[in-house]
Amino acid sequence: MEEMRQPIILGSVLVYLLVCIGVGLWAMRRTKSAGDFFVAGRGLGPIIISMAVFSSTLSGFGFVGGPGLVYATGMTSIWMAVCSALGYATGFYLVSKRIRMVAEVRDTMSLPDVIFARYGSEAARLLTAGTILLGVLGYLATQILAMALVLQTLFAGTEMFAHISLFACVVISTLVLVFYCVTGGIIASVYTDLVQGIVMIISGALVVITAANVFDGGLTEVSTILLTKGGEDIMPFGTLGTMAALTWFFLFGLGLAGQPHLITKMMMNRHISDNRVILPMTVLGYVVAAMLWLSVGIVMRALVLGDVGMPLASADQAAPAFLTSYAHPLLAGIVFAGLFAAIMSTADSFLNIGAAAIIHDIPKSVRGRSVENELFWARVATVVLASIAAGFALYSHYENGELVALLGAFGWGTFAAAIVPVVMIGLNWKGATPRAAVAAISASLLINFTVQLLQIKVPYGISAGFLAMLTSMILFIGISLLERPKKLPRDIDRIMEL
Amino acid sequence: MGLKPIHFVFLSLLVIAGITVFILLSEAPPDAAGHAHESIPVVQVGGDGAARLEAIGRAPFYFQIGTIFLAVSLLYMGVARHRRDTRFRLLVAGCTLFALFVWYKLYTGYEAYLVTGDADIVFGFPVPTAWLLGGVWGSFAVFDLIFVIFFRTYFWPREDEVAFKELVAELKAEQDVGDA
Repeated sequence: MEEMRQPIILGSVLVYLLVCIGVGLWAMRRTKSAGDFFVAGRGLGPIIISMAVFSSTLSGFGFVGGPGLVYATGMTSIWMAVCSALGYATGFYLVSKRIRMVAEVRDTMSLPDVIFARYGSEAARLLTAGTILLGVLGYLATQILAMALVLQTLFAGTEMFAHISLFACVVISTLVLVFYCVTGGIIASVYTDLVQGIVMIISGALVVITAANVFDGGLTEVSTILLTKGGEDIMPFGTLGTMAALTWFFLFGLGLAGQPHLITKMMMNRHISDNRVILPMTVLGYVVAAMLWLSVGIVMRALVLGDVGMPLASADQAAPAFLTSYAHPLLAGIVFAGLFAAIMSTADSFLNIGAAAIIHDIPKSVRGRSVENELFWARVATVVLASIAAGFALYSHYENGELVALLGAFGWGTFAAAIVPVVMIGLNWKGATPRAAVAAISASLLINFTVQLLQIKVPYGISAGFLAMLTSMILFIGISLLERPKKLPRDIDRIMEL
Repeated sequence: MGLKPIHFVFLSLLVIAGITVFILLSEAPPDAAGHAHESIPVVQVGGDGAARLEAIGRAPFYFQIGTIFLAVSLLYMGVARHRRDTRFRLLVAGCTLFALFVWYKLYTGYEAYLVTGDADIVFGFPVPTAWLLGGVWGSFAVFDLIFVIFFRTYFWPREDEVAFKELVAELKAEQDVGDA
């Protein structure tokens, strides 16, 4: 079995990619309008939505970056995962019901549409669409690059494709992603998310069992080794310390309800009453899948610090190295497919909201109406966006990593800072004003851009995204309290009473 | 004008901002966010945990209390004003106390470790870390549980469902008249 390890892993990944293409072809027949393409005609069931929400949350970071961070810094990054119960609670208490109601009465297709409905401000809509577009480019470039690098590593283990170029891997990864996103839009995206979510849950559950059995004494032995080798890493705040951990808890826990690729999915369910089932399924799916993040990271750290394993050249090798050395070939195959699933489930969501920003939100803000034949142009925009992101990915790898890093600053932290006050608070407080919304979004962009451009290092490991989010929330509420609230449209006013 | 949940949210944010400014103005020790391992590439170590907290004292403890109050105030806003009855307030208060208890156990356990350099292991992890993995997650998972159990009481009562259907029908009728 061991000699078949590489073919099994590569075979699992290829089967998974073929399933994605199949789903794209199937979904194409169900995509007849821009509404189907962007919000699936608001007709999705609870299982699909819950798998789509949790799998889009975890992304490739949870399967590669997360274990790498635990390997490098101990428990600090686990605060990003344990806050998930809070994050989903805020999302479902404060956003899910109202965003779905606004979507139905205003026939909205995107988050900027919802913001316009709430504030009646084209500036707020344009700023949100711009933020989403910049974030999408950064996220997509990093996700495509991650997919290509993993694919290249897998091909390197075969005789036939041992010398395949990164360029070829970027092309293959992008083509599969674009194919099912263009043909089936969000319908293909959420149904592949279903497959991806299931693969991620199975991967998480099996890997944690494997990891717990690497040492004879299980996780207790892992903890004992780490306690004798410094100890701060296995204590609750990790090596980065208390403030790094707590500001990540703030940013990721309260910021989840500001992630456009997640809350857009809350507009797509068939019935609002489905939320009662969607929330627990989402939370449980995330917890099981995220166990991989913790278990692989600490076991690899204990192996290296305990002089059992060889040190890694980079933190991101923690998960692949663990799978290569300790996982059964079949499990390694499933987890590598899970890794692709995690990356693609986030990437396809971003492609969808990015295309909506280009052909729907920005034209509406600038000239008051969307483009003609939205479905056709949505497909064109998806191809263009993915091509630009693939170009960024290659450019950053070969020429200049700063470009993607800069766009990457428009990731979780910027979305949280820009969108949480405007959507999460704004949909639950009639006193919120358009001017406050514009100020909050602008401040979040300014702070994140400045910190990234000037490469400011915040003391005590405090997250820059947290500073941006705290500032934008204070500005949003403070300015709104100082102003006289604008009279809300009748439909929005009545929705906010429910 | 009486105090509303949004005022508690704003107050919590100001408290968190105040603590953050205090921490940013404190002189950070050189290894406040850890340092590189002397021989193993990529790996960071924490160093002396007590020394790096010297300048800011218990500020992180109060910071997280502020975050818990902020989170709870926001979640409280998620239920319509006229639905917040005594039972709901008691549920929220109980969950808040639970979250504060978990945080107290976690932080004081960590402080004890900083003094003794030793910690008991429970469920495979040092006690304060076990509080993090089960307790911190669990203290907000109870809010998820409230959502599921009391969904039809506080979050989407049947009357609201009917009222929303009426609103949609009303708007559709107006649109039909407009189109005609």
